[in-house]
Amino acid sequence: MSTRHILLGLLAGGPSHGYDLKRRHDERFPQARPLAYGQVYTTLQRLVRDGLAEVDGTDSDGGPERTRYRSTDKGAKELAAWTGEITAPAPFVTNEIFAKVVCAILASTDAAGYLSAQRAAHMARMRELTALKTAPDADLATVLSADYALNHLDADLRWMTTTAARLTTLTAEVDAA
Amino acid sequence: MGDLRLAWLLTQGSDRREWWRVTLTAVGAALATGFGLAAVAIASVRGNVDFPYLNGLLDEPGVRSGVVVALLLLLVPVLGFLGQCARIGAVHRDRRLASLRLVGATAKQVRRIAALEAGLACLVGSAVAAVFSVLLLLPLWERPPLLLWGGFALVTSAVPVLAALVSVIALRRVVASPLGWVRRVRPERGGSAVLTLGVPALLVGLAVVLVLVWGVQASAGAFPLAVLGAVVLTAAGSVAVAGATARITGRRLAARTENPAVLIAAERLRTDPWAAARTHAAVLLVAIVGVSFLGVRQMLLDDLNGPGYSRSPEDMAFYTTGINLAGAAVLVALAITLSGLAVGAAESLATRRRGLAAQAAAGVPRAVLGRALLLETALPLAPAMLLAGIGGTAVYVAYGLVVEVSLPLLLPLLFPAAVYVSCLLAAATSLPLLRRAVRPSELRYT
Amino acid sequence: MSSPPMGSTQQTVPILAARGLAKTHGRTRALRDASVELRAGEILAVTGASGSGKSTLLHCLAGIVRPDEGSVVYAEQRLDQLPEERLSELRRTEFGVVFQFGQLIPELTALDNVALPMLLAGTARKDAHERAGEWLERFGVRGQETLRPGEMSGGQSQRVSLARALVTGPKVVFADEPTGALDSLASEQVMTALVHTAREAGTAVLLITHDAQVAAYADREVWLRDGVVSQDAADLEVAQ
Repeated sequence: MSTRHILLGLLAGGPSHGYDLKRRHDERFPQARPLAYGQVYTTLQRLVRDGLAEVDGTDSDGGPERTRYRSTDKGAKELAAWTGEITAPAPFVTNEIFAKVVCAILASTDAAGYLSAQRAAHMARMRELTALKTAPDADLATVLSADYALNHLDADLRWMTTTAARLTTLTAEVDAA
Repeated sequence: MGDLRLAWLLTQGSDRREWWRVTLTAVGAALATGFGLAAVAIASVRGNVDFPYLNGLLDEPGVRSGVVVALLLLLVPVLGFLGQCARIGAVHRDRRLASLRLVGATAKQVRRIAALEAGLACLVGSAVAAVFSVLLLLPLWERPPLLLWGGFALVTSAVPVLAALVSVIALRRVVASPLGWVRRVRPERGGSAVLTLGVPALLVGLAVVLVLVWGVQASAGAFPLAVLGAVVLTAAGSVAVAGATARITGRRLAARTENPAVLIAAERLRTDPWAAARTHAAVLLVAIVGVSFLGVRQMLLDDLNGPGYSRSPEDMAFYTTGINLAGAAVLVALAITLSGLAVGAAESLATRRRGLAAQAAAGVPRAVLGRALLLETALPLAPAMLLAGIGGTAVYVAYGLVVEVSLPLLLPLLFPAAVYVSCLLAAATSLPLLRRAVRPSELRYT
Repeated sequence: MSSPPMGSTQQTVPILAARGLAKTHGRTRALRDASVELRAGEILAVTGASGSGKSTLLHCLAGIVRPDEGSVVYAEQRLDQLPEERLSELRRTEFGVVFQFGQLIPELTALDNVALPMLLAGTARKDAHERAGEWLERFGVRGQETLRPGEMSGGQSQRVSLARALVTGPKVVFADEPTGALDSLASEQVMTALVHTAREAGTAVLLITHDAQVAAYADREVWLRDGVVSQDAADLEVAQ
């Protein structure tokens, strides 16, 4: 995921300074990995360097001086191009769970035990996310981002269930190779 | 031939309910054929004969034609019974035929398969009836005319052919749209109402014209026509009355009742009053005929035993045999009708068994479900039976006024009550099925 | 976990306990030596592949079928030994059931369907309607009172089913694939309604599902495989 484009998107709502951008990011994308302030700062610098954003002015409401940034026309175009571009549907399969299962078979350790423990961990996380989204004060952004994660975890779970059921065949295949 | 094999395969692979339908349809066809053959046999007797049975009742042509009409009238409850049988597993069958259409069978093929299924079941029934009729007839009548055999062959083949035709007509909606079973279009009542009222009215009119043009000689042809027309008109009237009472009773009770069983039964009636009407129309017909017969019989017997006449014992035997025979016909009609009612109740239960199982699982006592089932019969039948009683009474009172004898009251008025009770008993025969229907195995979603 | 707090004593008291259940349907063995406990006020999910005996387990626990072997204890009564009349009464007063479909009578209006358990208990129709109306409102199906199940969407009719199951204030609700026939949005609405109401009323829920996203609404999950119950691994860790 591109932090550049997300910052451009946040700037599209109006000029803003680094700290504010970080706060708005974390608010708008609940359950996402929070942005580090340093990362916001360096990304803004690069945006300015590439002519996608520019300095709008400085604020100091009694506190330290803060630089305000705004998006340029080029930035707006870049953002429009990014939002219109499809995300490549899983170009590489990076599946840590599968890698662990195969390694467990190679090392002759308990692959089934690992899968069932992983399954329980997935379920626990799903319960947590479900509780989060069914809380009476949950807003739609929270519900939707929880749903996104839930659907992915669910896909993992289904995959783990079918894999667990076919572990003997997989073991034979891996051992034979 | 391919269709025949497919029809046979489908019947073989079908579940128990399909076999019930086939068996009961065959029984109905056997009854229809039996009555038809008896009518043909009696009708083919010419002139005055000396028949040693039934106290000489069949000796005279006039009386014989009356017996023929009575036998033909018995076809009415048989048709009602067959109609009920055709509904057994109907949803499943329609679905199967629709899926045949979906996999690419042409409408014509599906129609042929359906016709074969119905026709074959009826053919078995009529063949059995024909064989037994011939075996029964041969010792009684040494050299029957060739015409009789022709008539036998005609009746025996007409029953399955008619059944096949009727099943094709009944299936036209399913055949027309392969997805018909998903969203079943309610047939428009207008057309069928015109048919059910128009055709018999035409028959009665034709009879009147015949009598007017050719005078009394035509009465032999006009009489059956008029009777047939009157019967169909009365039947249509009974369906309408039964349907209307079912709907009104349902709506009234559903709005007011405090009793859950009554509520369930009433809402079912309100939703589909015609289901009740179809089942009950034949009962009402029998009740009307029965009440008027009992009234007339009582008056005839009073008259015969009265002081005004002195009759030989042979004469008395002749008359009482006639009356008893007519009574037997009414009872046979009642028995067939009640079987139809029992079949209808069982089918209605079998169709809903998953829903009923879910209700029982949710803690609705089986007694409540059973009571609702009985009330579905009892509620609409009570007012309808009252009307039938009044209708029948009107008939025999009219007769009584003409011949000027004292009117009997007790027996004819007890008859509707007896019919009502036997209807409830017939409906109650499906209660053991309820016990099976609410088994939790019906709750499985497969 | 961020579910609303429950008393810790409540969590430890089993309200319904099954030990060593076995049940055979014809030649198929649906359950063999299945044991499970439902604690008061908890939502327990039973998951497993289709044909693993989930529905049979629910039927045994709800007193709908009798197990061939084993015991089911509810409120110090052996359900497997109670007469059918008493079980039926129990199901209608202290239990509530929700199935995938079929628990609503197609000819009755939504209001009458929800009022039915109260009518069976002898409540006057007017009062029953009043309470049923309140429950329909709670499940967000107000304005649908006069509709019949065939005239409602799947999600609406399942919410009416929930209202019917919960209207008598049951101690335990048994839900067998309550969202099995629903799309994901309707499924979410039904589950949210069920979970909220159950927590509010302190009703225990036994939830049968093959869908992990539905199972995630529960506090705890057990897993049925070939008729045997295995405890959630995480749950076992908690127990140790």
